[in-house]
Amino acid sequence: MELAYTPEQQAFRAEVRAWMAANVPARPLVTLEREEGYHQHVAWERRLAEGNWGMVTWPEAYGGRGLDLIQWLIFEEEYYRAQAPLRVNQNGIFLLGPTIMEYGTDEQKARFLTPMAKGEVIWAQAWSEPNAGSDMAAIKTRAVRDGDHYVISGQKTWSSRASFADWGFGLFRTDPESKRHKGLSFILFDLNTPGITRRPIRQFHGDPGFAELFFDEVRVPVENRIAAEGEGWNVAMATAGFERGLMLRSPARFQAAAARLVALFREHQDRASPAAREQVLAAWMGAQAYAYNTYAVASKIMAGGHIGAEASLNKIFWSELDRAMHRTAMQLLGATAELRQLAGDRANDWLEGYIFSLAGPIYAGSNEIQRNIIAERLLGLPR
Amino acid sequence: MDFRITEDRAALVDSVRDYLAGVHGVERLRALDADGSARSDELRQGLTEMGLRGLLVPEAQGGLGLSLVDAALIAVELGRAAVAEPLVDGAFVAVPLLIAAGGQEALLGAIATGDAQVALQHPVNGWVADFDGATHLIADRDGRLLLDAASARGVALDSVDPLRRLNAPVAAKGDDIGASDALLDHAALFAAAQGVGLAEAMLAQATDYAKVRTQFGQPIGSFQAVKHHLASAAVAIEFARPLLLRAALALEQGLASAPVHVSHAKLAAADLAWSVGEAAIQVHGAMGYTYEVDLHFWMKRAWALAGAWGDRAFHLARIDAAVIGGSLPIGPAHSFA
Repeated sequence: MELAYTPEQQAFRAEVRAWMAANVPARPLVTLEREEGYHQHVAWERRLAEGNWGMVTWPEAYGGRGLDLIQWLIFEEEYYRAQAPLRVNQNGIFLLGPTIMEYGTDEQKARFLTPMAKGEVIWAQAWSEPNAGSDMAAIKTRAVRDGDHYVISGQKTWSSRASFADWGFGLFRTDPESKRHKGLSFILFDLNTPGITRRPIRQFHGDPGFAELFFDEVRVPVENRIAAEGEGWNVAMATAGFERGLMLRSPARFQAAAARLVALFREHQDRASPAAREQVLAAWMGAQAYAYNTYAVASKIMAGGHIGAEASLNKIFWSELDRAMHRTAMQLLGATAELRQLAGDRANDWLEGYIFSLAGPIYAGSNEIQRNIIAERLLGLPR
Repeated sequence: MDFRITEDRAALVDSVRDYLAGVHGVERLRALDADGSARSDELRQGLTEMGLRGLLVPEAQGGLGLSLVDAALIAVELGRAAVAEPLVDGAFVAVPLLIAAGGQEALLGAIATGDAQVALQHPVNGWVADFDGATHLIADRDGRLLLDAASARGVALDSVDPLRRLNAPVAAKGDDIGASDALLDHAALFAAAQGVGLAEAMLAQATDYAKVRTQFGQPIGSFQAVKHHLASAAVAIEFARPLLLRAALALEQGLASAPVHVSHAKLAAADLAWSVGEAAIQVHGAMGYTYEVDLHFWMKRAWALAGAWGDRAFHLARIDAAVIGGSLPIGPAHSFA
């Protein structure tokens, strides 16, 4: 056990810090859930790519730097320290990318990973359907083989980024006779293919964050399928593991929020309740615990270990921590919490953040589903 | 940067776990409770023979010369087995203090062989554990450590935990062996470690019970309400363990921030053991409320350790002074500040 950075790791941190200081936009971008903000965030992705920061853990051949997970954590720490914009391509770089790396052919890797790392193609996810949410195995949208194409018909929903993104990925039923987990395939599709209709859904905050997707005999080349036909469920479970696990929510995000919360408390401490004071400390403690745990998991993976159902422990922890710390901030703000703009024409980030945090325990598999997974797969309780 | 436990270290911890499972199962716990002896000569001897009393004692004095990280992981196992034997106070906490004091080679050697046993007294801690059988007392007085023969014993106290043996503190006297800063932090670290072990044991007991107890024609562990109690406990354990390792290493390396990390680990582990105990008794239903089911030994130890070596308010105040007070750098680039 060694909980200190090597000189190389410290030098890497300094390099990231210097680049961020020179490049992070001085003014916060408009939310990526709005068209204007989406394009600002895409431009930021391309700026990152120019600095070769698109996805530092990927091989150089695919637009990465071939770095390890500890370096990735350092990168993330500096990224959030610099208050850099959210990653509009997170569905691609954090979820689909690792999936293609594990299950894709060499051709697919070359075709999809590099443009992803460079921010040239922005990805949406398309898992859920109107009747397949927590019960994802109830997926009905069909992909019928016709020569060297699949013909897709059906509907997806709650599709993050799909209002504006370029490509999507999801699970489709390629065997019409199949039931549940069998007969599903993992397919990538160009969102501008004829026959796809996007209908943005106005979210809780009022902006069109996710969308419904309607597929009317959409022809998608067979080479867009990842892994074998009918193997989609296993591939999707691996993707879900990345989502809940290490990549999607790096600890730096919560450490940054906790530090901001401490600063907010200092501003408001004259009228803050003793309970609020303890909640602020709990936020710092939770974010630190999450960081240590992530370093521990990263150390394990670097030594050849894997994370499976353990990813569910993670997902519950960060999503409930995030909601709790933003609720504390709302309570510290008191009457100001409801205002969309704060003094100095600043957006009320705590309000926006709180609204976003409400989705955390729901997306990427609801926390109820995660608790079932922990109980059944880690504790061995009966189904 | 590597947060893994090395294989050597894991093997040592496994051997202690196996040993304790063999000699200190629930049958033994019940027997020690039933006959009122609370302490087992066999266990006492066994722990000495395994070298655990000398775990932190330098090799020159007949010990193993291992680190606080090793001792913390072994204390997790003591918690898991609900061992109340005075190994923690008398060896894991006392030894680093005596090493730091200097000139205590003979006593260190005697601790390793089991011939000496040290009890501890500190104003932040309520009581003196295992004064019975102690040959020495190390007591804090006004920030100084005083080492004395354990002679004048305070009045005996009756703990809810049938295996804890407590006395009221006495007027501290003896030879001044140095500053007392380290006593509380070392003791709090090991209380935290035991808390993690207690929680893991209680989760395992409740999980085992939920697999075999049937109602409505099926194991109660198949019901989501029961599953979710246990899953939440598993989440809390997962995120408490690294705090312990962080605190142990910080203390071992003498980092200025070590007291904050110790307080974080102690507070989290105490809350953890307390809440996992409540979940475990709920899953056991009425059986959990009986003396016959063993859960109560673990729950009572959890309450006792939560109040020992700095209660919740004490450790929260130390974290508050560092985090809100501003003496500790915080934020994303300070994971290991």
